[in-house]
Amino acid sequence: MEAVLNVTFFQELLLSTIRMATPILIVALAELYSERAGQVNIGLDGIMAFGALVGFLTSYITGSPYLGILAGAVGGLLINMVYAFCTITLGAEQIVYGMAINIFAPALASFIYKIYFGISSTLAQATLMKVMPIPFLSKIPVLGPVLFNHTIIVYLTYLLVPFTYLFFTKTKPGLNYRAVGEYPKAAESLGINVVRQKYIASMICGALAGIGGAYLTTCYISTYSDGVVSGRGFIALSAVIFGRWMPGGVLLAALLFGFTDALQLRFQVMSSATPYQLLAMIPYLSTLFVLAFLGIKKAGPKANGKPYFREER
Amino acid sequence: MKLKNTLIKILVPILSVICSFLVGAIMITFIGGNPADAYKFLFRGAFGSTANIGETIVKSVPLIFTGLAATFAYKCGVFNLGAEGQFTMGAVTSIWISTVVTGITGIPLLILSLTGGIIAGGIWGAIPGILKITRGLNEIIVSIMLNYVAVLFMGYLYSSPLREGSVPQTAAVAVKLGRIMNGTRVHAGIIIALIIAVGIYYFLFFTAGGFKLRAVGLNQTAARFNGYSVKKFILLSFIISGAIAGLGGSVELHGTQFRLMSGFGAGYGFDGVAIALIGQLNPIGTVLVAYLFAVLRAGATTMQVGSGMPTSVVDIIQALIIVFAVAGSAFTNLPKTRQFLSNMLSKQNRKEKEEWKQC
Repeated sequence: MEAVLNVTFFQELLLSTIRMATPILIVALAELYSERAGQVNIGLDGIMAFGALVGFLTSYITGSPYLGILAGAVGGLLINMVYAFCTITLGAEQIVYGMAINIFAPALASFIYKIYFGISSTLAQATLMKVMPIPFLSKIPVLGPVLFNHTIIVYLTYLLVPFTYLFFTKTKPGLNYRAVGEYPKAAESLGINVVRQKYIASMICGALAGIGGAYLTTCYISTYSDGVVSGRGFIALSAVIFGRWMPGGVLLAALLFGFTDALQLRFQVMSSATPYQLLAMIPYLSTLFVLAFLGIKKAGPKANGKPYFREER
Repeated sequence: MKLKNTLIKILVPILSVICSFLVGAIMITFIGGNPADAYKFLFRGAFGSTANIGETIVKSVPLIFTGLAATFAYKCGVFNLGAEGQFTMGAVTSIWISTVVTGITGIPLLILSLTGGIIAGGIWGAIPGILKITRGLNEIIVSIMLNYVAVLFMGYLYSSPLREGSVPQTAAVAVKLGRIMNGTRVHAGIIIALIIAVGIYYFLFFTAGGFKLRAVGLNQTAARFNGYSVKKFILLSFIISGAIAGLGGSVELHGTQFRLMSGFGAGYGFDGVAIALIGQLNPIGTVLVAYLFAVLRAGATTMQVGSGMPTSVVDIIQALIIVFAVAGSAFTNLPKTRQFLSNMLSKQNRKEKEEWKQC
């Protein structure tokens, strides 16, 4: 045991935590942007699946994982426009429509993959994004390689946290944005275009969730398969609740879930005798326990999940 | 007005199905296929022979169960996205009973096993319910996390303790549901499914309990002021919803699959939700839509072999139906559309009145 629990073990565990937390964090931020405008989107898992496919295909064809990430963002945005139109303009129930996206988007992704690679194909491999060590900082002993030896997406994702915090608490557009999620009638009376703000929120949400999906196939594993997302969208959804709808809290929650994921992967490597299924349960069970013991009953934007009709009194 | 609402509720799913098939046809053309040809093979696969018709019915059974599970929960205003986990746990319990219990065989064992499935599904369904009413947790997240746990647990069982032979799968169940149609695999499970559907229909629309449950689903505040125990109904609907899904898993195991292996029950939970929503949350509508989904699935393989179109075309059509159906329902509920429809109706009334005056 001593041989295993040394500095390298913890270093690898932390490195892996940061890497595994990234897709959860970016998708949780996507949901945060959506819910701050009152749009509950449970279709994250589906958007991620589509982003993963589009990102993978683009990266496979062009050979550039950066273009893959970009394409993932565009793909996620487009898919989420279906959700936005139906929930904002048609006033469909957000939870129900999110569910529809969860069924539709993975089906579309799987369809495109099968059309492109044929019915019976060998596993296609795309190039993974290279890590970009930050000069000097990555040379710090122990912590350097853990914190400053990642792909650019990881850095940008973590930078998005303070940016989101400042945007929502210190800027006028950010406060207006939040007003739409809290009390759209009042926001409208102050001259804020509620419908437009909700559309913008959905665009941001779709793009970020698409990037989160594309991250999986361009930075994490180099192949696409159905079920590659494996519930990360829903874990991100709980990260938003657990993080009390604030960027800092969301970051902590994402790191916690990333840690459980990293831990179970380490355990799998360390003890191959333990059935991997029992270890793979850890992230899901810990999500449940964390929510059950630390979750709160009511928080978050007041008008979250409610359709908005301008004409209605 | 009531008649008009019913008409819309029937028209929306039908139009959604037609639209989905049209979009599906466009997609088939786009990838270089012949839609008429593909659909011909699709329906031949579903109805071409007695065996095929039977296979379609067999495929509809688990979908009816998970569809009913979703319908029941949603009628009480809660989302049970955990039908897949409850379905799996039902089947897992049945396999366990079949392995452990010795001394009884035949019908008593079957009844014991199915009851075990019901109880396991109910317990698995109770977890999100309890966490919702005591801790205020979002039932969607809890039930989905439990899906993953259940599927991994099943994977653990068939690859380690209950494994039989070199392939990761369990032994076959000791007792099977009887076949009820010559020359097909149709088993008594379809009868159980239909009885449950009629039972739920009766409970929801013809009993006081069903009325209260729907009242809670429509408006919790109003229900509370009427003295209904909202929490009790929420928990109860989760348990019953889970029990239906659990029974479904058990029936699928005893009637069709006989053993647990990779992929057992995969996707049935979400499909059940889709079916319930397209079926306008009516138990009878749920059965019909479940049958439609079964037709699509039963025909998919024949279509792939006959016309070279991949089976995922069918998944797309299924997904499009839900996208259109939900959007369509929302559209007909928009204040503007409602106004437009009632205007049309009143105009027609006025016209009729004028005609009547002229006479």
